[in-house]
Amino acid sequence: MSTLEAHPVSAGEKPLAAPRRLRWPRLTLAEAFSFLFLLLLIAGAIFADRIPGLVRPNFPYGDFSRPPEWSINGLFGTDGLGRSIFSRILHGARATLTIVGIATLISLGFGLLLGMLAGYYRGIIERFVDLFANTVAALPPILVILALLTATGPSVTTMTLALGFLEIGTYARIAKGGVISQYDRDYILAARALGASDARILLREILPNLMPTLAALVPPLMAGLIITEGSLSFLGYGIAPPAPSWGGMIADSTDLLSRFPLLIFGPILTIVCTVFALNTVGDYLSRRIDRREKQL
Amino acid sequence: MTVPSDIHPLLAVENLSCAVPGPAGAMRILTDVSFTLPHATALGIVGESGAGKSMLVKTIMDIAPSRAAVTGAVRLDGTALQSLDTRTRRTTLGRRVGMVFQNPMTSLNPFVRVGRQVEEASRKHLGLDRRAAREKAIALLRAVGIPDAAECYHGFPHQFSGGMKQRIMIATALACDPELLIADEATTALDATVQKDILDLLQTLQQRRRMSMILVTHNLGVVAGRTDEVIVMYGGRLVEHAPTERLFASPRHRYTAALLSAMPRIDQPAHTRLATIPGQPPSLAHPEPGCPFAPRCPAAIDACRAAMPPMTVSADGRHRFACHVPLDAGISGDASVRQPEAANV
Amino acid sequence: MRSAGSTYLRAAGTRLLAGIPVFVLVTFAATALSDLMPGSAAQTILGENATLEQIAALNAEYGYDRPAVIRYLDWLGGLARGDLGYTLFSRQPVAELLVNRAAVTFEIALLAMLVSLLLAIPLAMVSAARAGGLVDSTLSAVTSFLLSIPTFVSVVVLSYVFSIVLRWLPATGWVSPFVDPLGNLMFVALPVLSLSVHQSAYFFRVARSQFAATLQEDFVLVARAKGLSTSYIMLRHALRPSLPQVLTVLGLSMTFLLGGSFIVESYFAVPGIGWTVLNAVKNHDLPVVQAILSLTVVIFVVVFILVDLGYALIDPRVQAT
Repeated sequence: MSTLEAHPVSAGEKPLAAPRRLRWPRLTLAEAFSFLFLLLLIAGAIFADRIPGLVRPNFPYGDFSRPPEWSINGLFGTDGLGRSIFSRILHGARATLTIVGIATLISLGFGLLLGMLAGYYRGIIERFVDLFANTVAALPPILVILALLTATGPSVTTMTLALGFLEIGTYARIAKGGVISQYDRDYILAARALGASDARILLREILPNLMPTLAALVPPLMAGLIITEGSLSFLGYGIAPPAPSWGGMIADSTDLLSRFPLLIFGPILTIVCTVFALNTVGDYLSRRIDRREKQL
Repeated sequence: MTVPSDIHPLLAVENLSCAVPGPAGAMRILTDVSFTLPHATALGIVGESGAGKSMLVKTIMDIAPSRAAVTGAVRLDGTALQSLDTRTRRTTLGRRVGMVFQNPMTSLNPFVRVGRQVEEASRKHLGLDRRAAREKAIALLRAVGIPDAAECYHGFPHQFSGGMKQRIMIATALACDPELLIADEATTALDATVQKDILDLLQTLQQRRRMSMILVTHNLGVVAGRTDEVIVMYGGRLVEHAPTERLFASPRHRYTAALLSAMPRIDQPAHTRLATIPGQPPSLAHPEPGCPFAPRCPAAIDACRAAMPPMTVSADGRHRFACHVPLDAGISGDASVRQPEAANV
Repeated sequence: MRSAGSTYLRAAGTRLLAGIPVFVLVTFAATALSDLMPGSAAQTILGENATLEQIAALNAEYGYDRPAVIRYLDWLGGLARGDLGYTLFSRQPVAELLVNRAAVTFEIALLAMLVSLLLAIPLAMVSAARAGGLVDSTLSAVTSFLLSIPTFVSVVVLSYVFSIVLRWLPATGWVSPFVDPLGNLMFVALPVLSLSVHQSAYFFRVARSQFAATLQEDFVLVARAKGLSTSYIMLRHALRPSLPQVLTVLGLSMTFLLGGSFIVESYFAVPGIGWTVLNAVKNHDLPVVQAILSLTVVIFVVVFILVDLGYALIDPRVQAT
């Protein structure tokens, strides 16, 4: 067969420029809804106290178990003690998002640190990270947290710290993989040849390239944390009543389920939409990475 | 085997075009390909990778990717396949046309016993019962030169070498005694020593079973001596179609000539530098007007770049080519493209 | 040639070895749990009003005044004899309690797996056979919704529909399958369905993408060229090569199902592992919690060894070795 010499003759050939910045793919309807919902939820959680006309979450402002109506306090009805379910949802969001946010910061921070060290230096740190990740994968998080609560008694602090602790392994493993895959790339070798310190290489060269992957991982893992926290509160071991929590509200309304089924609608809608939105945002962010890989 | 009808050629391809959506717009993989294939004839389809030859046979077999937009007609014994409903079309093709693929390593399902893979088409299309199908499968395995055919029948693909796997694939393609066997780069993935065995086997089977065969290859040496006719494809178009000997002896299209001169030949001194075709195959996403070979063609004139040359047919109707500046028939030699004499590879 | 078979079997051995440090880590941490208790462990367990004699007796039996390492060695010694100690209050042997409760949880978990697979695999095949079609996009939307439903929501919704509105199934309770098989099925139905909501959506997702990947294989193109029907190709050519991936997910889902058993068992009052742990948490019943943590690790390791052996069964390249 002919030996084909590559002369730049053919038309329609464009130089392949590797884009340094990731492009944002177009939002689908579900993704747009998800971003909007999360923005509203976060705003509602932050400003829950300042929304004009909204009563305090523990204030018995009306009749017991009133069905939903078209007013700000009665939007999702009132619970068995006459408290506004809408207000309790927003205040519950504040508690949940705080717990999940702190836990995510803990796991992301320690996970990144451990994972980067494990990927860069390998050896004993890598073994430790693997063992930790394997151990956590073997146990349902809810069981570990319940075991801890057996010793310490119900405590939101224990729960938050434990949620963060358990997720360290997941982030560490991903960060480790990311570092290992970059280790021999040209820009790392070039930086090393120029005499850059390990810390500088890790922070300035490797970390920025890990961020998109980790960013895509955060929302679905947060959704998982919200479910675990909700489950514990549902079981009565999370946020203690009378403080509002989504899991606790669902547990409360099950007692009245046969007579007032509509009252469970608000908390369920909120938690399902939150988890859906976080998962969808995660999919969107990983779609963004996939596109980059296709372009390269 | 059905009785060959005299009225219709076994296969008639009419104005077949095919485009698939790509990142830079639709890619025209095939443009306006027409040819006919008589009964009991061997045809070679030759071209560089990307010339569209593999897509051509996949489109004929109705196994092109579903996103491919196909126009034109394929007739099998006079019946336009597009007019049939999907189920009948697939069944007809599965029964009357057998196909051998490029890579025997991935073409056999590693999770299914060899016997089932050989016999499943005959059980479905010929309605053979289990025993008849098994006997037939073992006979076919023997016919393609597998020593322990009965043992092979019960084996799994991973137990066989690449050459053996391709023999199994050929047995599979013959399961329904097809009238047409398509071999799509059937030897490309094999060791050089095995390639010849497989090609000889295909040729023997084609002649003994009096079926037609399409041999798709990028290697002109493969079709020499094994086919009755050759089609040369370039940039998704059929550029030349001639009886094999005639094509080798006096190619008319400039691309065919270039391809022939790039072929290693036994009558040249050793270490002769092979001619090369400068440039790259044309872009399918942004086809330019004119002959697709014009940018690489040493003899190109303005007309070549302006309009696609029409198909010229020789006086006896057996040699077709699409070239504005064809080589003279029977006269060898050209200032820019060396033209070899009859090839005997 | 190094065959895929020995690879799978070696993987099973590696898993067993990798499981040992995990087991040690978890069980030791479980032993050390009592050191996390504020003040004296025995005091916390027995409450404010406990007498010194009661505390001394508890310490004498469970050793909460001794270092965790000593207690751990004791526990390991007991484990070797099949003795996991006694529950703190009901004074039952922990091992016996565990066997009874684990059987209940396993019944529910395995049934949930079965139901989810039976739902997910056929739908995944239909979906993958026409990727991008109406069925495919509908199912993909439905599953992303189902995946957003936590178990504590599905228990409430399903029990509302099936036991309050339709009155088809009992809301709570339990009867052993050996006493009343039919009644047992009535009682497990809601727990199983609740766990299957998320599981079937998850299995569907994995199986669909795996089928779609298998359908890209050359041998599927060959099968299409043979003129075989889509359903035949799906069942005879695409199913088996796709199973290893499904099997992996099946193994991973064990952790999810155990986690889900806490919700399901507490809501439907089913006496399984989850229910037992929840009671133990209330009573500070550390021996029970420790035993269940250990059991969970063992289950995880065993499940993954089974998964590796399952690969070996599915993949014919194994039998050559």
